[in-house]
Amino acid sequence: MASRSWKASSRALDYAAVISENSPLPSSFRSGAREGFFAFLPLSVGLVPWALVMGMAMASTGFSPLQAMGMNIIVFAGTAQLGTLPLIAAEAPLWLIVTTALALNLRFVIFSAALAPGFRGVGTPARWLAGHLLTDGVFATCLDKMMSVEDPHWRLGYYLAPAIWSWLLWQSFALIGIYAAGFIPKQWSLEFMATIALIVLLVPMARIRPMLVAALVGGASATLLRDIPLRLGVVVGICAGIAAGFAAEHWAHRSKRP
Amino acid sequence: MTFDASLWLIFILIALATTLPRASFIVLGNRVALPSVLQRALRYAPAAALAAIVVPDVLVVGGAVEVFNPKLAAAIAAVAAALAWRNPWLPFIAGMAVLLGLRFALGS
Repeated sequence: MASRSWKASSRALDYAAVISENSPLPSSFRSGAREGFFAFLPLSVGLVPWALVMGMAMASTGFSPLQAMGMNIIVFAGTAQLGTLPLIAAEAPLWLIVTTALALNLRFVIFSAALAPGFRGVGTPARWLAGHLLTDGVFATCLDKMMSVEDPHWRLGYYLAPAIWSWLLWQSFALIGIYAAGFIPKQWSLEFMATIALIVLLVPMARIRPMLVAALVGGASATLLRDIPLRLGVVVGICAGIAAGFAAEHWAHRSKRP
Repeated sequence: MTFDASLWLIFILIALATTLPRASFIVLGNRVALPSVLQRALRYAPAAALAAIVVPDVLVVGGAVEVFNPKLAAAIAAVAAALAWRNPWLPFIAGMAVLLGLRFALGS
């Protein structure tokens, strides 16, 4: 009986093999996915204008719709795409384009390392998929639950639902943006909604004192260092913020001791 | 301006420079363990990174730090809305209202 239903659902199993290493999609995957999706849904609003702007930017750089959607699907990265567009347009050397993209993505090495323990019990193909779909918003949404929940299926569902939703939103609204370039007035400043989305992520974190210190130092350093090349100021700002938060945590512990 | 086929090579290289950093530790997983001190320090990464992206964006206008500008006022309104209410949509409404209201009032 068990083996018959096993065979009957072999297609579902093939799919599940991509998602997890040892069993078909369990109900905990679905409940994790549902919870992750609704936790992320309000924040995903911020992706819409960002994707529209991305589409319009690629169209106004001179990409054909095919080239623009090609970039959007192959690369899937807001800041790295926006950051390299002017270089591509200026026919900059390839190494500079790639180095710039790397610098803009360095923060994801940090995010990836922070998230990695949350993927214990998850298979390698699903890890590659998760890595490819990693974004700032998904990271900020998922970090806590990925660390605290035991069930690997639940964790993977909680991560993949917002990640895939982001991908779908990103592709569809970029496509609209490509064709809408020239229709939406620039004065509406819709791209500012992306900044607000980042603020919405940041505020609850900064309620904890050392986190606030990390944010203040990170923000201040990145502002002061904004003119150093390749936008490395952002990376230096992140490192300075982490160091400051860590130091603040230590001092708080020390002052509590008698 | 039109682009030739080499554009696709550029896309693939940017994609590698994007996906490899993102997948790095998620894929390596337990094979490479970060020291626990580093892991504890990394908890501050998201706050530091978000601030490192947002703060210059709202403070810098045309290359110089400007304390009085519509974007900063809008960001403060969004922070206030996020602190005061649980509703996650309100910061968007407050922020965009302040930004567009101030731009309109200042006539720019």
